[in-house]
Amino acid sequence: MEWYNLLVQNKDLIKIIYGAIISLICFTIVLKSDRLYRLSLHNGIRYFRNAFFFYSLAFVVRYILGYFFYSYGLTLLFEFFLITAGFFLLHSLLWKNFYYIEKPYLSSLFSPVTILFYLMAGLLVFLDYLWCFYLFLFLSQIFIFISASIISYRNYISNRNKAFPRFYFLAMLLSLFAWILNILAAMVFDWHKGIMINAYLLNIIVFILFLFGVIKIANR
Amino acid sequence: MRKRERLEVIRDILKAIQTKKSIKPTRLLYASNLSPQMFKDYVNELLEKKFLQFEIDKDEKKTFSLTKKGFDFLQEYKVIENFVNNFGL
Repeated sequence: MEWYNLLVQNKDLIKIIYGAIISLICFTIVLKSDRLYRLSLHNGIRYFRNAFFFYSLAFVVRYILGYFFYSYGLTLLFEFFLITAGFFLLHSLLWKNFYYIEKPYLSSLFSPVTILFYLMAGLLVFLDYLWCFYLFLFLSQIFIFISASIISYRNYISNRNKAFPRFYFLAMLLSLFAWILNILAAMVFDWHKGIMINAYLLNIIVFILFLFGVIKIANR
Repeated sequence: MRKRERLEVIRDILKAIQTKKSIKPTRLLYASNLSPQMFKDYVNELLEKKFLQFEIDKDEKKTFSLTKKGFDFLQEYKVIENFVNNFGL
């Protein structure tokens, strides 16, 4: 248990390192996928890139800015970015099923669909603010990752000859599991540090899986 | 025969233009193997994305040609296709 005590004693430093690792991974994914988006103007790549853009903002706000200038406002902003990122990730898998071609307005971060995501995320954050708890954040993430796990499983089954769909499915399952751990830690175990460390580790594995896939495929 | 994916249709349209350097709308319609309505939708989208340009010369001859953006897309097509398929986008 020596390592566990060491982690708990240095939890602030660990949180900054954790936030920095994930922000850096997300930022690299954004850069790599942005190059492909600019070449193809493919909506799926746009939503995927936007998802990681908002994940990187969320982790910078919560774990890096939050360390130096802690305020409840930053926590709400973190929640807003995290929920928006989840919506983009899910929509990157779903958009082909909708019968419209969406065109970005002003920038690729603005269009009717993206504005709807911002409004929905804002509403969920507001409800959590009223309840003074993360209930709507947790519910939204469980919904997003159950749906994404099902879709990515179907994608894996229909693309067995390709390498990454199985990792994508695994990443979605691990994300779902990480969120379940988060919920258990928050609602049952009073933010138990051991459970939170495991959720952090799972998150790092998920983001590394994505980085591995993006680098492997985008650099071919 | 398997239905072509959206990206494949776009690749086929751009390739047909690239082979001929510039191509008349009717010839492009035949080469793309699409219905006239679908062809119109795709071409409008590609014009909007500035992958193609439409020109009318002095003799009123209408042609499509590739822009740099369209050319770059074809160069990186395999990478884009792999990315889209592997991530289910």
